[in-house]
Amino acid sequence: MANTVMMSKLHAIRRQEQITAGIFLLPAAILLLFVFGYPIVRAFWLSFFAKNLATKLQPVFCGLDNYARMVGDGHFWQSFWIATTFTTASVILELLLGLGIALVLNQKFWGQGGVRTIAILPWALPTALMGLAWAWIFNDQFGVVNDILLRLGIIKTGINWLGEPTLALLATIFADVWKTTPFISILLLASLQSISPDLYEAHAMDGAKPWQSFYQITLPLLAPQILIATLFRFAQAFGIFDLIAVMTGGGPGGATEVISLYIYSTVMRYLDFGYGAALMVVTFLLLVLAVASASFLLNKSRIAAK
Amino acid sequence: MNYRLLKNLFSVVPTRFKQLQLSAIVILLAILLSVFTKWISPAQTAKPVVLNLLMTAPDAQPWKEGLVKRFEEKNPGIRINIIEGPNATNLLEDLYTSAFILGDSPYDLVNMDVIWTPKFAAAGWLMDLTDRMTAKELAAFSSWDVEGGRYEGRLYRIPMRSDVGILYYRKDLLEEGGFAPPKTFADLIAISQSLKQQNKVNWGYLWQGRQYEGLVAMFVEVLHGFGGFWIDPKTLEVGLDRPETLEAIAFLKQTMQAGISPPGVTTYQEEETRRIFQSGQAAFLRSWPYVWPLANAPDSPIQGKIAIEPMVSASGENGGACLGGWGLGISKSTRYPQEAWKAIQYFTSEEAQRQFVLKAGFVPSRRSLFTDPQIVAKYPHYPQLLKVLEKAVLRPPIAQYAQASDILQRYLSAALTNRLSGEKAMKQAAQETRRLLGKS
Repeated sequence: MANTVMMSKLHAIRRQEQITAGIFLLPAAILLLFVFGYPIVRAFWLSFFAKNLATKLQPVFCGLDNYARMVGDGHFWQSFWIATTFTTASVILELLLGLGIALVLNQKFWGQGGVRTIAILPWALPTALMGLAWAWIFNDQFGVVNDILLRLGIIKTGINWLGEPTLALLATIFADVWKTTPFISILLLASLQSISPDLYEAHAMDGAKPWQSFYQITLPLLAPQILIATLFRFAQAFGIFDLIAVMTGGGPGGATEVISLYIYSTVMRYLDFGYGAALMVVTFLLLVLAVASASFLLNKSRIAAK
Repeated sequence: MNYRLLKNLFSVVPTRFKQLQLSAIVILLAILLSVFTKWISPAQTAKPVVLNLLMTAPDAQPWKEGLVKRFEEKNPGIRINIIEGPNATNLLEDLYTSAFILGDSPYDLVNMDVIWTPKFAAAGWLMDLTDRMTAKELAAFSSWDVEGGRYEGRLYRIPMRSDVGILYYRKDLLEEGGFAPPKTFADLIAISQSLKQQNKVNWGYLWQGRQYEGLVAMFVEVLHGFGGFWIDPKTLEVGLDRPETLEAIAFLKQTMQAGISPPGVTTYQEEETRRIFQSGQAAFLRSWPYVWPLANAPDSPIQGKIAIEPMVSASGENGGACLGGWGLGISKSTRYPQEAWKAIQYFTSEEAQRQFVLKAGFVPSRRSLFTDPQIVAKYPHYPQLLKVLEKAVLRPPIAQYAQASDILQRYLSAALTNRLSGEKAMKQAAQETRRLLGKS
């Protein structure tokens, strides 16, 4: 009898706590609703309307017309492939470099603290300003890159880095790798430090060589972090705007026009709000899909590790 | 609850309170002061009306020194605030657009490129100026410049500065070789080849082939010369997959294949072509009026050796000259439409334009100024320029021009760099354009 009273009291207290927790969470939930929920729902809604110059900027319902138009839109596919190329190249390079840097920084050496601070510096600098800096570094007349290559005698005349389609894309990838490799190396460094040195000691006693330890201990234990880092970088790189907008503006001739720049043009230059919303929705869904499948992989690898 | 924390908090309050009091008094005084200056002082000194106008920084200089100063002297109640924007017209367009999208635009006057006018007008950002000028007043302007300010029959922009595509040629070389200035595409190629064979020049004909707005401007002229059209603004019919368009592309490709135009021409903008022409390496150049003063500067190797003609055409057709240029409109959200109209009237007046042209070397929009003695004394080629201007071709004045131009740029560039055949490229371009205009 007393026991059931206790139980119901406990229940009451627990419910009370849940309500309190709910009240405390409410402001954050409302904020999220306005900051994330509203724009997403609004973009979905708008993507079923024609709202552009032909309709005098008034929304006119058009069903799935905007999505049908996307299929035959060469510009969309071009920017989509450029974004994919950019993302793939920069994420792979960043992972390799980031892992290398993390392994070096994990070693004990003199001035380690200073080097670690410097290593994260590019990531801490504002992207738009760095875009401008890189545009000057790659400038065909006054750029540092051409100056160095000319002095070394590798080239005879200055290369117009940002004026040639392939070179311009390479230059933006280079700048992005420089900017965001530190993010990956810091993330990986943190998890490297959580790996117990005992493991390596025991492994070495068993007669394993350092590269065997790397493959058999370091990489498997780092796998979840690598996947998380890739996920973060993938989402960021695919939606990159500021760096490229400042460095090349999408040029020359659209060679570096990634999808977010195309969406920007569609909305801001062409004033095609409905179609812009449809582009945004598709990009959003693709990203969600990519992130979801990656986290599915992550879960699977965790289960496998256990 | 942590009571000690609470107690600490209260013990801080008295000293804090004094500070608060002090700052409250300061804030109160500041508010009173601002109220005073805002509501009481204007009664004593009537504040002039300030009109905001955005333009590229290099353009702003001649405005500030000449036009604005004179206008303000004549109209003491109005001040013109020139805002210096970035030196790229597309960024300027973005700045105007984002200001207008937000609703309450800070700009009262709108300084517009001819190709923005339909877009801004269709979006409802501009005041209708149709009834403000009589037909007689408008007749003093070059008719194509006025036409470029219309959208669906209503007038939104008064032309201020004209700009038009021109064919420059080396007068000295053509006279030496006994050639008359070319009239047709075939003439252009024949003369170029002959001068090249005699090693007088490295290149015959220079044009802008990079994928950008300038490519479209150049192409509109060639297309017109073959009797074709891009988009009919009235019926929204698209002419990109017609045989004339393919002939125009074939001509441009021929200039490269015959070695008349450098292979890099597909990456050139205006400045690259001007440098080659000015260094004396080419016989013909298609460009804008800005080249004239530079090519005739004292340190130019071709000083005094050039002349201009309207763009050539196929025999039996008319050459076209792509129309550019700037004009002024009034933002719909301005609080001072009367004052803004006064400013436009002055800036587009004959007197103001004469000053502006003499100072900055721009092309006027008023016909009489092309033969004005003062201007001709300084720029002897202006009467000939008027002839070119009479053959002006407008890029289609449709609201979705930016998108249509973008489509043509991409497919034309693909055709010229042999990534797609001309036929296939134009078929796709026409298809996308029709879909854009709702014609498919």
